[in-house]
Amino acid sequence: MTTYNQLAGYRVNYLSTDPTLNSGNEGQVWYNSTSGTLKSLVQLKAWSAAGSLPVAKNEAGSDGTSTAGWTAGGSTGPAANTGTTATEEYSGYTWASGGNLNTARTGLGGSGFGTQTAAAVSGGYVQPGAGPTRTMYANAEEYNGSSWTSVTSMPTALNGVAQCGIQTAGLSFGGGSGYATPFVTTTLEYDGTNWTTGGSLNTAAVYQAAGIQTAGLAMQQSDTTGKGTESYNGTSWTTVANRNTARAQIVGFGTQTLATIAGGYSAGPGTPQFTETEQWDGTAWGISPASLGTATRTGMGIGTQGSGTSGLLAGGYQTNYLANTQEWNSTIFSPATGAWASGGNLNTARGGIMGEGTQTAAVAFGGDNPAPTGATELYNGTAWTNTGSMNTARGEGGAAGTQTAGLGFGGYIVPNTAATESFNGSTWTSVNSMNTARRGLGGVGLQTAALAFGGFTTARVASTESWNGTSWTTLPASMNTARDSLGSAGTQTAALAFGGFSTAVTGITESWNGSTWTSVNSMNTARYALAGAGTQTLALAFGGTSNPPITGATEQYDGTSWISSPPMSTARRDLGGAGTQTAGLAFGGGNPGALTATEEWTGTPSTGTASTLTTS
Amino acid sequence: MALFIYGTATNTGKGFFTAEDRRNFFLRGYPGDVWVIGNSEKGALWLAEKNGVEKTKAEAQAIVDAEVTAAQAAWDALPIEQKNRPGFNQRPTAITLP
Repeated sequence: MTTYNQLAGYRVNYLSTDPTLNSGNEGQVWYNSTSGTLKSLVQLKAWSAAGSLPVAKNEAGSDGTSTAGWTAGGSTGPAANTGTTATEEYSGYTWASGGNLNTARTGLGGSGFGTQTAAAVSGGYVQPGAGPTRTMYANAEEYNGSSWTSVTSMPTALNGVAQCGIQTAGLSFGGGSGYATPFVTTTLEYDGTNWTTGGSLNTAAVYQAAGIQTAGLAMQQSDTTGKGTESYNGTSWTTVANRNTARAQIVGFGTQTLATIAGGYSAGPGTPQFTETEQWDGTAWGISPASLGTATRTGMGIGTQGSGTSGLLAGGYQTNYLANTQEWNSTIFSPATGAWASGGNLNTARGGIMGEGTQTAAVAFGGDNPAPTGATELYNGTAWTNTGSMNTARGEGGAAGTQTAGLGFGGYIVPNTAATESFNGSTWTSVNSMNTARRGLGGVGLQTAALAFGGFTTARVASTESWNGTSWTTLPASMNTARDSLGSAGTQTAALAFGGFSTAVTGITESWNGSTWTSVNSMNTARYALAGAGTQTLALAFGGTSNPPITGATEQYDGTSWISSPPMSTARRDLGGAGTQTAGLAFGGGNPGALTATEEWTGTPSTGTASTLTTS
Repeated sequence: MALFIYGTATNTGKGFFTAEDRRNFFLRGYPGDVWVIGNSEKGALWLAEKNGVEKTKAEAQAIVDAEVTAAQAAWDALPIEQKNRPGFNQRPTAITLP
């Protein structure tokens, strides 16, 4: 029998524990002597549900990436073959409306290229009745992130034309020239101004597209014979391997050497649609074990300019028009995700509120509405209950500890305070004050081991103070960036400071190791007056203001970088935060008046997963 | 077909919207108990279940505008020390519904 050593040229590692599950170990095979299993770190391929389109639609133009995609035009129902002008933009989790097309149209399935801020769409049709009367379009429009502008039309009116590339280097091919008329072999290249003719396809058909202008992939769609594939080198098309299953009205995305198609139908409208997914590796098509969650045809594929490892199927049709978004990922990591749900409302609406504890055992205290308050409330996972107030009413202070062993320090009482108070679950006791009175500071740690940093005195400061359960000590190390109204997470010896206001709104993040602050990757959304939760390496940032707007933006930190996550339902600033990256809590804040609303975050961080190999 | 449904509904706290709701449809809260909801069957059902009152976009915007105006008046009444704080606590600005 051939051994793995003979096949691969090296032996399988014999390990008592799994290695670090990161990209550096992707493809590795090892024997775990503790569990007695042969294991490997391989890519997981899966479709998952993502945020729905605001409106059910199909046959729209689309492109971008799975974290910054767009759709434009399309049909929103049987009576709407006159098409829509609506544009939607995807953030990676939710859709928002963009600027409207100048020409309402449908029949854009597969067409469109470029990014959310530099896109183009062309062709399509409107069909007032059941046919055969159909008005075909050649006209093209470009998008700048907010509005569409009419540009040079394609030389030929087409619908269902496949497109890939970018706004200044787009590739269009195939499609139909009218109602039930022959398909075309035409290829057009767009340079941002003009359309020129490229090499003709070998087979006239409707296609889906992947790749770029000089390295395109045409994936044929037809319910009887449609499984051909052609590859474009910038000059001519070459027929390559067929797919496994003939089907029409599929979605497709990816690159010339790593593409994905899914969905469609094979026997005509009204028959069941496919969930089947096929993947192209540059040489051959294979049927993926991962299927769509919702069988779909005529949806919008997004990700033709992506890496080939992720993409979207937005909208489409099954027995009715769909608003679903389905996300494709091929990675060794499960994606970080999560969602906010409503929690019990605070009894006292307020901004500048402080808090600590967990999602099911939190304490909220202080704040402004608009005068400072010392009101304190306890959360049990369902409802807030009033308890003993702080001795010094204040807002915008620091917090550390738990629901039954808390610490409140600093804050705003015209102008600032250094007062520190200790909480035992029902009563506040004044203890030794901070060395520097300040407001809008960061605070982390425990009642007996806390850390305070940044804030505003008469100017923004970077200084750090350490609390040992009895007194505060000013530490020699300050943050690299002075700021106030920042977010914070972690412990006295392993903290994270993020966002705030320095000389401007910032997303700067710094990591504390107990003696020094080190700058690390910034948040994606710069903001201040935000809240934070979690630890130094698994943190959660939410809410705040970018001066303006007030935001509900949520980001997860994995110890290296921030990942944008679904936003809160109610955008707010000066809110309170508690909990962890997987079970967070947001409460109070302002937008624009003081709020009582609470939201609970349930998150799933990005993790690598080792697969156990079995014999068959 | 409009992209969004506009309505008012009182946030009753826990269970008012769930993580599943958030995954199923677009949902954003605004001042004055105004909610902007993705125009889908599930979104419309959610507003009905919450005893919400559907509004036109203009009606919803008017409610938000009134709330912002009230907040601006409250801000105008703040002590000068709070108002002058650089880069912080600016006067509330208009909110435009999507």
